[in-house]
Amino acid sequence: MNAIVRRELISILRTWPAAAIQVGTAVVFALLVVAQWPTGAVVDLSGVQAERVFRLFGYGLLTTLLLLVPAVPATSIVREKKQGTLTLLLNSPLTGWGIYSGKLLGVLGFVMLPLLMSLPAAAACYAMGGLALGDVLKLYAVLLLATVQCAAIGLLVSSYANSTDAALRLTYGFMLLVAVILLGPYQILQGKPWPYVADIALWLRGLSPIPAVVELLRQGDVGGQGLSAVAGNVYRYFIMGGAMTGLLAVWTARRLKQTMLDRPRPQGVMTDDRSLGQRSARRLFFLIDPQRRSRAIGRFTNPVLVKEFRSRRFGRSYWMVRLIAGCAIFSLLFSYAATTSSEDWGVETIGGILVVLQVALIVFITPSLAAGMISAEHESGGWTLLRMTPLSAGRIVTGKLLSVLWTLLLVLLATLPGYALMIVIMPKLMQQIIYVLICLVLSCVFSLVLSAMVSSFFRRTAPATITAYTVLAVIYGGTLLVWFGRDAPFGHDTVQRVLTVNTLAAAMHAIKVKGFETYELIPANWWFVGCATVACLGVFAWRVRRLTRPE
Amino acid sequence: MTDNSVMLEARQLTKRYGDITALDDFTLSVDGGNIVGVIGPNGAGKTTLIRILVGQARPTSGSATIDGCDCSRDAQKIKHLVGYMPDVFGSYDNMRVGEYLDFFGAAFKIPPVKRRARIDEVMETTGSTYMKDRFVESLSHGMKQRVAVARTLLHDPSVLILDEPANGLDPHARIEMRELLLRLAKMGKTLIVTSHILPELSRICDQVAIITSGRLRAFGSLDEIMRMVHQQRMFEFQLTNADQINAVSQTIGQQVDDATEIVGSAAEQTVRFRTGQSDQDLSVLLAKLISDGVQVGQFREIPFDLEDTFLSITGKGAG
Repeated sequence: MNAIVRRELISILRTWPAAAIQVGTAVVFALLVVAQWPTGAVVDLSGVQAERVFRLFGYGLLTTLLLLVPAVPATSIVREKKQGTLTLLLNSPLTGWGIYSGKLLGVLGFVMLPLLMSLPAAAACYAMGGLALGDVLKLYAVLLLATVQCAAIGLLVSSYANSTDAALRLTYGFMLLVAVILLGPYQILQGKPWPYVADIALWLRGLSPIPAVVELLRQGDVGGQGLSAVAGNVYRYFIMGGAMTGLLAVWTARRLKQTMLDRPRPQGVMTDDRSLGQRSARRLFFLIDPQRRSRAIGRFTNPVLVKEFRSRRFGRSYWMVRLIAGCAIFSLLFSYAATTSSEDWGVETIGGILVVLQVALIVFITPSLAAGMISAEHESGGWTLLRMTPLSAGRIVTGKLLSVLWTLLLVLLATLPGYALMIVIMPKLMQQIIYVLICLVLSCVFSLVLSAMVSSFFRRTAPATITAYTVLAVIYGGTLLVWFGRDAPFGHDTVQRVLTVNTLAAAMHAIKVKGFETYELIPANWWFVGCATVACLGVFAWRVRRLTRPE
Repeated sequence: MTDNSVMLEARQLTKRYGDITALDDFTLSVDGGNIVGVIGPNGAGKTTLIRILVGQARPTSGSATIDGCDCSRDAQKIKHLVGYMPDVFGSYDNMRVGEYLDFFGAAFKIPPVKRRARIDEVMETTGSTYMKDRFVESLSHGMKQRVAVARTLLHDPSVLILDEPANGLDPHARIEMRELLLRLAKMGKTLIVTSHILPELSRICDQVAIITSGRLRAFGSLDEIMRMVHQQRMFEFQLTNADQINAVSQTIGQQVDDATEIVGSAAEQTVRFRTGQSDQDLSVLLAKLISDGVQVGQFREIPFDLEDTFLSITGKGAG
């Protein structure tokens, strides 16, 4: 066995989260099947019951894989880089392909365990009747390819990243792009009179495993509109996903050689020392030049707040301007589409998509900014230094929380013009949009405080980030799985109770997205999220206070 | 340079973590303006001592004061009195050295105008001015150590506690660090320095504290400790003929009553031994050997260094 496979696999399997994932997967799927196993003498010949369970089962497995798999390969190479063991590996007789395949197989070895643990439940679904063996096997093949694809993305990002949290952030960002955002272009272009463009968008969508899984679970097409829904998503995914995985593998393996670490140290050239022409050009390009000498922190400014912005690559002003401008443009485009194409989609659909994308952005950005609040300080040794300054725990907490909250609120504010346009066109939407905005603000604050609280329990950023992402994904995505099983196997009350924790569902309810309008989620959701936020804030403050006190 | 008033005092400090005693009845007193080296094997309790002194850990019993302020109760005052450089640098990504120092200066509430001047001053003192625009994470280890010292100096503390400042430095950088520490002592700062590089400490320290198993085994100037530890001196005969090693060893055994550890080396053509006898007594031995026809190339005393002293003490401690 490749030495790297052995080391990677065993080191992962020794961790408690690995054990928890395996046991958790087995228990959840077993309970799902037990709940639906026929108890009476009546047999469901149509197989509808088995199909419903299998649907939940398939979506559950896909969600679990998309959430958990990227974390392991994303930290795999960068961790070795930070520990200095990558140099040893690159100087060993192992080739780039040897290292790459070792790491990939290590990840696959770990991921195969929850997949294998789900097999008895899949067999039980099959035994209940109504399912074709070919579909079950195809689902597993798609899931396996999705796993390899996630691992390939994670390993490539890891080979470029310089810190574990940056690697995690980027990997999850790419996963969001590949799995979800790439569904967007075809959603907009389908049925339009530009055949080639729509075809390209369709094949681009083939990079995401979601349409393939949806088709295998016999739910038609993702966002399919009436008769225009297309088939063949499974084969398209095998071709596109497989090609992408192969390309990324070649790319990463070719990078894994000694020259990979051969980089000069930046000399710290400042714009202030450049010529007038260069200074002007940079001002034009960046608006706020990142290489300009910073001014001293103001007398009455919280230094932690400024430090947080400065030490974050995307916290620098020029990145903030880009992010906010991007959000504003995107929001306006969507609103424009809502008003001009309302016959095709309806405002609820556009509003729903906008809300989903905004919450996805919040869930994506927040842990990456907040989960390192305390853990990154521990990891870098900065916490010891912070404790030696006269800064109080309250000032540290305030500075750190505000640095993320400002970013999130600015991103949210940037989307306001889009909503304003919607209100101008349809004034009756005013109240709905106010409700949606309340939900979004609550999402921001809750995600922030929860990630900060998680951060205070860890001494390393990577596990803190993974935990924060997982918890938020369970709250925002996991609860939607129950909604997928509405009416059967879950009743209306159960779904409503579960959705009460999900602000995304509350926002969708507010904007009357199809499937959410029947549940009464507001103000119950606001109460729940408000109380949860206060509780998390209390725990966070208590943890920081403890950490700043002498041991 | 010593200002004679007690700057730092530890009284019967004990720190326990469950069943483990990290510090055991530790008492120490340091005068202002002194450089004190704290040495001990790994796990001896050096870091625990430092953490108590800087207010990051509370002693289980006993007390520690710096300039009259209790290290546990007067935590805020201690932060202003002490500049602490831990063994980990504590870098922040994407920050330039100037911004990094600006942050710590602002955290100590130094007003912006004064802070800018102070940053320039400490960077000049530590020879790191040229690094001001560089990114912190791109600095070499030696550069980081200088920036770390600059950071500890920002709020002009009276006491500097430096954990392994010379660790990982190349010989050139080590000399520069030594000169920097001497310069700081001349400025009137009291320095507490831990290091594993004992020759470095022996060159700069006024006093040395040796710790093993959480206990203070020896404390004083280097000469005092050596006199205490090495009551016997070590001598060496350099011979021109290796065949005479046995004869010389026998003569030493017969002539020097308290001779111990008589060791001959054929490869080096030397015979070493330890004795507490005076130079006059030993001149008789030398005369006897020469009259016996032994061809002595050189007869000299081997001086002890801090490393030998440390090994002697830690050996006792371990035993």
